[in-house]
Amino acid sequence: MHSDPHQWINEHGDYLYRYAMSRVHSEEIAADLLQETLLAAWKSHTTFAGQSTIRTWLTGILKHKIIDHIRKEIRERNLSDNVSSDPTTAYFNNDGSWSEAPHAWNENPESLCRNEQFNNVLEKCVSKLPEKQRLIFRLRDISGDDTETVCKSCGITATNLHVLLHRARLALRKCLEIHWFGVGENR
Amino acid sequence: MNHACKEISRLASESIERELSLWERFRFHLHMAVCKHCRNFEQAIELMHQAAALMHQSRYGEIKLTDSQRNRLHKAMDELN
Repeated sequence: MHSDPHQWINEHGDYLYRYAMSRVHSEEIAADLLQETLLAAWKSHTTFAGQSTIRTWLTGILKHKIIDHIRKEIRERNLSDNVSSDPTTAYFNNDGSWSEAPHAWNENPESLCRNEQFNNVLEKCVSKLPEKQRLIFRLRDISGDDTETVCKSCGITATNLHVLLHRARLALRKCLEIHWFGVGENR
Repeated sequence: MNHACKEISRLASESIERELSLWERFRFHLHMAVCKHCRNFEQAIELMHQAAALMHQSRYGEIKLTDSQRNRLHKAMDELN
């Protein structure tokens, strides 16, 4: 039965809420977006062709609501790209070599990924990124949205996305090297 | 050794996002074969990419609507009819 919004809430509410929460990081905004999604779905449910599952259909609507929300936030807070100035020069010498060579991380990726302490340090490093890099890294690497969706959400080109992700990854790697792998200071 | 590390590190990051061109792959692998630092960098960002995805699972995998949020949604849907 695809025309009972109460059933949508019961069967897909948690899933949709989780989807929104992991992208907007605010309980209030996630719940609002979910409500908007349900209202929009109700208005258009007679056109639902049943070619996808209800969950896929609802997620598609929610995805658009999230994209609108993020774009609005970027516009309102005037988060700039600054793609023109290049902060990556700090990591390299003039001849293009590393100014501080990256060390080998001799830890097993699988066990490290499941280490709660490591995740906390990673999250702390992410929180120190410039705002737009943080937003993009979260959407792309943490939420796992594809390149196209992240570009749409943030209203940027794929080229800009690559530039900003590279910057974020350079900064994060260095942050983890200092605060997790203990290079340069004690852990 | 040529010092193309700045350029190669960018390709390492972009290879997560898109398929590199034949020429880019050629340069990338040629450099990687001789540069331990860039190999370390690539290994590190791959690890961060994986760790970030798993963090998503552990941080958000169990989140649920609270009862009051759920009630509010049901109420909003009631008002439609």
